[in-house]
Amino acid sequence: MFATKRLSKMQEHLPPGIAIVKCDNLEEWQMDIKILDQNPLYLDQTYRLKFTFNNKYPIEPPEVQFIQSPASTGTPRSIPMHPHIYSNGIICLDLLGSAGWSPVQTVESVCMSLQSMLTANNRDERPAGDKEFIATNRRRIRDINFVYEDDNV
Amino acid sequence: MDQSFEIPDSTDWLETPLSLLAPFESSLRCQVCKDFFDNPVITSCSHTFCSLCIRRCLSTEGKCPACRSSDQELKLRRNWAVQELVDAFKLARPNVLDLARRENVRLAKGEEDIDEPTQKKRKINQVEEQELQVPEANSQGRRTRSQRSINSSAEERTVPQIVPEVIEDSQDDEEYMPEDGLVACPICFRKMKEEAVFPHLNVHQQEEEAPRKTPTKPTSFGLLKGTSQRGLTLPSKQPERLPAINYSILKDNALRKKLRDLGIPDWGQKQLLQRRHTEWMNLWNANCDSKCPKSKRVLLQELDIWERTQGGHAAVPSPFTTSNNVMRKDFDANEWSNNHDDDFKRLIANARKKSGAQVRSIIPETSPSSSRQREPQPQQDVGLPVNGARVELSPDTDANHVIDLSG
Repeated sequence: MFATKRLSKMQEHLPPGIAIVKCDNLEEWQMDIKILDQNPLYLDQTYRLKFTFNNKYPIEPPEVQFIQSPASTGTPRSIPMHPHIYSNGIICLDLLGSAGWSPVQTVESVCMSLQSMLTANNRDERPAGDKEFIATNRRRIRDINFVYEDDNV
Repeated sequence: MDQSFEIPDSTDWLETPLSLLAPFESSLRCQVCKDFFDNPVITSCSHTFCSLCIRRCLSTEGKCPACRSSDQELKLRRNWAVQELVDAFKLARPNVLDLARRENVRLAKGEEDIDEPTQKKRKINQVEEQELQVPEANSQGRRTRSQRSINSSAEERTVPQIVPEVIEDSQDDEEYMPEDGLVACPICFRKMKEEAVFPHLNVHQQEEEAPRKTPTKPTSFGLLKGTSQRGLTLPSKQPERLPAINYSILKDNALRKKLRDLGIPDWGQKQLLQRRHTEWMNLWNANCDSKCPKSKRVLLQELDIWERTQGGHAAVPSPFTTSNNVMRKDFDANEWSNNHDDDFKRLIANARKKSGAQVRSIIPETSPSSSRQREPQPQQDVGLPVNGARVELSPDTDANHVIDLSG
């Protein structure tokens, strides 16, 4: 009920570089984001985010991850290269964990945070242990205990 | 967009000439639920939220959602000035928005006219709008609203149409001041010396407060009971607030009894009891902040909605995330096996492969066919490790899930 109120607000006035792809239900939304500055890592790329809301949103954070989309769909999307983004699209960002989340955040504000997280990055690499993580992780995103050791990126 | 489904939003203003009302309206909305403040309360850190929103946040996290400083429910205070702002704005909103949108239509029309040779006429219109706009308004079939159409066409000069008089008054004051040196009282408009205004205002304030201090004579404030004053008077009988409970020192049955005493459902495990009590406490105490509290029956209905969406009757988002779903009495084994047929098959295939490989590596003479004979029983066994193959429901996921529920 809480979520219904909030999510059903059509967001017609989105910040630049953010677009709604899919929002036909209140459990899952997809958004496209672009990096607007000249960072060569992400130049001319569009990335797709999947938001999964549970019924305690916005008291609890949504699950947010990047998703891939093959070129055959007409909208090819890849997982952006970033030392805090695993190659399966899972994002290690404190504001998406229950400790860093605040109910005043919105879909737009999360998209904007991710835009700035990418903009500020200049390392063309995956997190340490990426291979093991994506091979072994079967947990839901919310159950993963990230350690936010790196405040620089 | 479908008219019947339109949800008022601060962005409604952006396409009108009154686009500056968008941030104004946002500031009258709760940052948590994005709706207009409902029983606004202010935190120790001076942030304002709906009473229910901030109570739910604080009972989950104990922190202000805006600035993350710690706060307690007990420290929340009603913010009635904001409540009045919201009430007044909600009242004015449809009319103002209507005017602003019609002004948009008019401006759009004006632009079309500019292309045509009637450009000159439009300019005249803007000067003598009153006389020339009336026929136009009538021709649109809005005879009864012609008065408003005039106003909307005059809007360019007096944009905040709701308070045109105030603007004019203040302009007049500035003009008149040098002439007689007198200032008008903003309440009764009596002219007086500038120094006299503030003492004079106290008189008004006392007049206003007098009836509130003597509520024993209810007849005397019939006039003041208008919409704007109602928010300032306390409801005659304040419902009593519920205290927080330290759940950890209560045994299941003691907590169950407490819920029974409160008149709310008392079924379920302790965790559910806790969550239900917290929600009830939030609903109840938020209701105490209301200037016209709802009845307990209404609150019980709201608790029932909570029960169905987030409590014991909540739909489980994904069956694989909650193992205890399988344990429920109404668990539908057929549906479950239909839905997860593919998963089961895949798991069985994986398990076979692995167990076959294991058996072969440990006891080389065992043929793969013998391992097939003791293939795992499908369905209910699926939550357990099958012949060494780990299945989704690992113990730590379950443990986390339980912790999850308490939040």
